[in-house]
Amino acid sequence: MTDERENDREALAAEHALQMLRGDELRQASALAGSDRGFAREVARWRGRLAPLFAEVEAVDPPDAMWARIEQATAGSGNGANVVTLRRSRALWRGVAAGMTALAAAFGLVLLERPPVPQQPVAIQRPAAPPLVAMLGDTDKNMKVVASWDPASRRLVLAVAGDMPADPSHAHELWVIPQGGKPRSLGTMATGKQMHMRLAEALAQLLQQGATIAISVEPPGGSPTGAPTGPVVASGSLGQA
Amino acid sequence: MERQVQLRVEARGNDELGRLLAAVARGEQGALRDLYRRTSAKLYGICLRVLADEGEAQDVLQEVFTTAWTKADLFDPAKASAMTWLSVLARNRAIDRLRARRPPGAPLDEANDVISGDLSQFEILERAEDASRLRDCLDELDERARAMIRSAFFDGASYPELASREKVPLPTMKSWIRRGLLRLRGCLER
Repeated sequence: MTDERENDREALAAEHALQMLRGDELRQASALAGSDRGFAREVARWRGRLAPLFAEVEAVDPPDAMWARIEQATAGSGNGANVVTLRRSRALWRGVAAGMTALAAAFGLVLLERPPVPQQPVAIQRPAAPPLVAMLGDTDKNMKVVASWDPASRRLVLAVAGDMPADPSHAHELWVIPQGGKPRSLGTMATGKQMHMRLAEALAQLLQQGATIAISVEPPGGSPTGAPTGPVVASGSLGQA
Repeated sequence: MERQVQLRVEARGNDELGRLLAAVARGEQGALRDLYRRTSAKLYGICLRVLADEGEAQDVLQEVFTTAWTKADLFDPAKASAMTWLSVLARNRAIDRLRARRPPGAPLDEANDVISGDLSQFEILERAEDASRLRDCLDELDERARAMIRSAFFDGASYPELASREKVPLPTMKSWIRRGLLRLRGCLER
């Protein structure tokens, strides 16, 4: 019985890696991959096991205009400043989304883009800069996420309050909105109770006292435009702890 | 054994493409261009193989590089080669695109069978011995299972498509492939 169940799970991991599943089975496997480390690892193993087959695929030169398209698509998107080094802690998030999505629908909040302020020369962060904390809540001031920012190590730690079910059809993207500035992406959020990020220097400069941290609902993979496109489900401003 | 693993990790760490991908993660657009020059033909080949449509394959190729641009920090050179990471990304996005094609008259929700934004989709665990073993182990399968698994890999065929192509009931197709996959794993892990 146990063997059979193990085999089912193993086969599901292989099918998921091959992307053969549809409908309910696909949703089930996606949710499992997002919540169960063992299953996610088995899917990852299958991707590796089958990868040698790529050697059989013939290379075909794409048209010359292709690079220009890609260059254009990537040049506007923050040229790496919004690339976040996710510290993938082994304790992966156990689901974020559906609850937040429902909240988003309930409150219908939308993050407004503000005009950019002229770029100022950036001061070197003093190592002694004090840690900052933001309590991210919804419009009813229910606290959802606590963000702690340590400027010295450029490390942002997020802790989620409550348990939120996984929703594979949406991503949650984290933003910093400097006072008088426009939202900059800090990356999409992994699922789980806690998340650590080490921010690139350029982004770290934006996390000053008074800046807003917000979470918006976006398509899988994050906002396609580099600015928030979905409703904001939680936000709060950075202040001293 | 321990030493072998260590050597492999080092070999991958020295991988030129891996270095480019790491530079892309730091936001260096020059590195993205070099990466494109060195990998786009293979990745375009993968997209074309799945989609059999140049326009769609080009859209997906663009998506592969814009995704690499924003998600390269998820690449772990100790777990897979950069080429494998990019190839899996290309294949997955091409199949997402394939699944999003809506047959005329099909209900809308059937077009939504695309993989989630779950970050675990970027995870690959590859072992050096995989390549040499896979061919032998595929050869051990019966021809039918082998052909179906290959079709799922290269053409992105889903269960319902394979079942109707082979004119067998869906559960029959499932049991053929599942048995094949489990045998494959048994052989690879031997």
